[in-house]
Amino acid sequence: MQKRIRLMLALVLSFTLAFGVAAMPVAAAVEFSDRGPNVDEIIMPIIKEQTARRIAFERGESVVWAGLTQPADIDQAKSLEIADMRMTLGFHMFYLCFNMRKAPFNDATIRHAMAYITDRDNIIRTLFKGYMLPMTSFVPQASVFYYDEVPTYPFSLAKASQLLDNAGYKLDATGKNRIDPNTGKPLPAMKIFTPTYEVAPTSAELGKMIAESAQKVGLPVEPEPMDFNVMLDKIDIADFDMYVLAWSLSRNPTHLVNFFHSNQDVEAGYNNPGIRSAELDAALDILDTAPDLATAKAAADEAQLILAREMPYIPLYSRPYIDAFRKDMVTGYIDMAGYGAASSKNQWTVLNIRQVDETGTPLDGGTIRWALSEEPKNLNPTTASSAYEWDVLDKLFDGLLTMHPESLEDMPWMAKKWDVDTWEVEPGKEGTVITWYLQEGIKWSDGVSFTAEDIDFTINFLKDNKVPRYLPYTENIVKTELVDDYTVKVYFDTVSYWHLYNADLVFLPKHIWQDVEDYQSFEPWLEPHPTMEGYTKLVGHGPFMLKEYRPGEFVRLVKNPNYWRLNATGK
Amino acid sequence: MGFRSYLFKRLFYAVLVLFVILTFNFILFRVMPGDPEKMIIDPNFTVEAKQELRRQYGLDDPIMTQYFNYMKSLLRFDMGLSFNTRRPVWSELKERLPNTLILFVVTFISTATVGISLGVYAAANRGRYAERFVVGAGLFAHAVPGFFIQLLLLLVLGYYWPILPIHGTMSAPPPDGGFALFLDRVWHLILPAGSNVVIGFGSWALYTRNTMLEALSQDYIVTARAKGLQRGEILYHHALRSVLPPIVTLIFMSLPGAVSGAVITESIFSWHGVGRYLLDATLQMDYPAAQGAFYLIALSVIISNLLADIAYGLVDPRIRVGAGGQR
Repeated sequence: MQKRIRLMLALVLSFTLAFGVAAMPVAAAVEFSDRGPNVDEIIMPIIKEQTARRIAFERGESVVWAGLTQPADIDQAKSLEIADMRMTLGFHMFYLCFNMRKAPFNDATIRHAMAYITDRDNIIRTLFKGYMLPMTSFVPQASVFYYDEVPTYPFSLAKASQLLDNAGYKLDATGKNRIDPNTGKPLPAMKIFTPTYEVAPTSAELGKMIAESAQKVGLPVEPEPMDFNVMLDKIDIADFDMYVLAWSLSRNPTHLVNFFHSNQDVEAGYNNPGIRSAELDAALDILDTAPDLATAKAAADEAQLILAREMPYIPLYSRPYIDAFRKDMVTGYIDMAGYGAASSKNQWTVLNIRQVDETGTPLDGGTIRWALSEEPKNLNPTTASSAYEWDVLDKLFDGLLTMHPESLEDMPWMAKKWDVDTWEVEPGKEGTVITWYLQEGIKWSDGVSFTAEDIDFTINFLKDNKVPRYLPYTENIVKTELVDDYTVKVYFDTVSYWHLYNADLVFLPKHIWQDVEDYQSFEPWLEPHPTMEGYTKLVGHGPFMLKEYRPGEFVRLVKNPNYWRLNATGK
Repeated sequence: MGFRSYLFKRLFYAVLVLFVILTFNFILFRVMPGDPEKMIIDPNFTVEAKQELRRQYGLDDPIMTQYFNYMKSLLRFDMGLSFNTRRPVWSELKERLPNTLILFVVTFISTATVGISLGVYAAANRGRYAERFVVGAGLFAHAVPGFFIQLLLLLVLGYYWPILPIHGTMSAPPPDGGFALFLDRVWHLILPAGSNVVIGFGSWALYTRNTMLEALSQDYIVTARAKGLQRGEILYHHALRSVLPPIVTLIFMSLPGAVSGAVITESIFSWHGVGRYLLDATLQMDYPAAQGAFYLIALSVIISNLLADIAYGLVDPRIRVGAGGQR
């Protein structure tokens, strides 16, 4: 935890420098509360164009300008007196990947030399005006699993040259290329695939900067911008030398298993560098099947150490979340590490945000406007796939668990407690069993009680229909067991602490969904609710409920009067 | 050849072209780089989940089976379910089509009216400042990228002088009452349609001016002048009427732009239309959605061509006779 606090302080400091003291965030005068919501209505106009979103923010047609990534937008936002800039670490990772299946990238010397010639600070300063964080490990800094004692490769052309010289990669007579000691021939041209300048100008320029730096030590690296889909195709069939790309990760380090375990070096797998290391596999197996957090943390540390040594990727930078709020219109937004203040995953902002009057005094109730950058085309929780759809759905559904906004530690939410145990799947084989103990008195937005039966129904519904989006979470579930109305057990056929999160799904109201024959064609947001006039079958248990959706225009959410975490006053 | 056989021949070609387009439509998306399930770049989305998705999308069927299913469905006007949203493509297109058509019709009528009027006015004032202004403004509007003009207008009329809405087709929430709602929609239409007029009037004005100048130098115009006809009568009843056939062609050939040419306008003004839908579907490798939108465009192009052919056949008998190769 100490490390994380240091990191947070470092981040605040870096932004203080980047933004200037005068433009530093003004702390919102809010109490952190686990009850709410404090507004009666959220209108979410759909504004697809970036300039229009900026104008909408300045005109007061949106209380937030969320997810700022372009330095020009960030500068513009921070120049506004009405804007309160919020910044938090993100779960984003931008990286350069090597194809370790082929020479010379199968030699760690080349990969280490490439790491030394990569000037992260210069890249971040030049391309992003300092609004990114340099990354050295394979887990984002915001995660509790981040391990900061891995070997690092600070920018040094001299060290890169020395490393190459010592390994026998001598410069040729021209002094511009190095000789491969294994073949006795000059190193072949090494390409860095990037998206085109038109699609991703910073990524394309970044590839060029790394290539130019590599050329200074005699590595014949060249950037090759290309169509994004072509690039993905080439990565899929391992027809590349190097490429740059980004991942959006989560707080848990299970992505290490998907990215670097040798069993993922298959078609459609994510082990794109093709790393095959028995030592790493062993650490990742422990990580994947850890029965508890302590074991998982130790395995994640070990995996990060091995990866820093093997260097299948060069982690380059991580993008923080930067959001601007209208401080003259709202207060109560909460910074959430890894997710940002305005992310849909940040339920704390949804619960706490409230309007202020001209004097800045917080108000109860009222309507706020919160722009969506894309249309939420599909509001069926079993098939909704884009972040824009979940921007809406996350406000309608709660989870059994939640996360503390600062520490990201698990907190009880709709489940008041839970147990993680093992059970005997068959003689000699153990599995995990999760027992959920639900809070009593939780209701769906239409007033029907939320019980363990809904959990049991949802898991079996998703499993029976093989719903692709939920397959990774349900494929290891063997059975469920209803103990009573508020207790349910979920049995997995393997041992893994991560099954705790696999068993915390978006739960569906059985009384609505039990009659659904084809989950794909069901449009709950369009079908009228059987008993609640003016509402639809999109029934959840979150702080808001859907009142109106005009495709392409706006989404209108109203406070859920049956919400189980309403303020004590019932407001 | 009579008009009826001319019509049948045109219809036959239209069906043939539609068949070829639909076939290319199918092939094109499958030879394009990228795969629908590769668009899901999520480390938690396992290999098994991707395989299940392919099965549900019908992409694990043999290619010929996919082709026959596709043709069979389109003939029934069933465009399938979008890979991305799992909603019927036709439902999604139906939501957007009216907005695209409203924007197009208003834009088209306004642009054609302004452009043709200015073209006639410029031709009638040849060598004067009025002509130079129309030609200069027309060339400028034609040369400057459309999205730049639109963003500029968005900034000027939405931000610096904020008198117009900057997104959508209606207020959120819209006002109650039919007339209030109508006014609200008109208010939202001003910026996107107006910017399209600014972008588009130039080509109409220049084309009309040029054809009008040519017409005004013809002998029958000199005769009309010699007969002492009024200036307006010469301009509109003689000169403009003689240049109308190519302008009619332009009108019909512009119709497909209702769907395909609206991408930028719809994106900039968050206009809920088919153009943006097509762009998103193509970028996301959403085969059914993109195929459905292209099908709609192909149909509108073919119908427009057919209408143009019919109109030509009606107004100019030489064409239908010439098409038969005999008199």
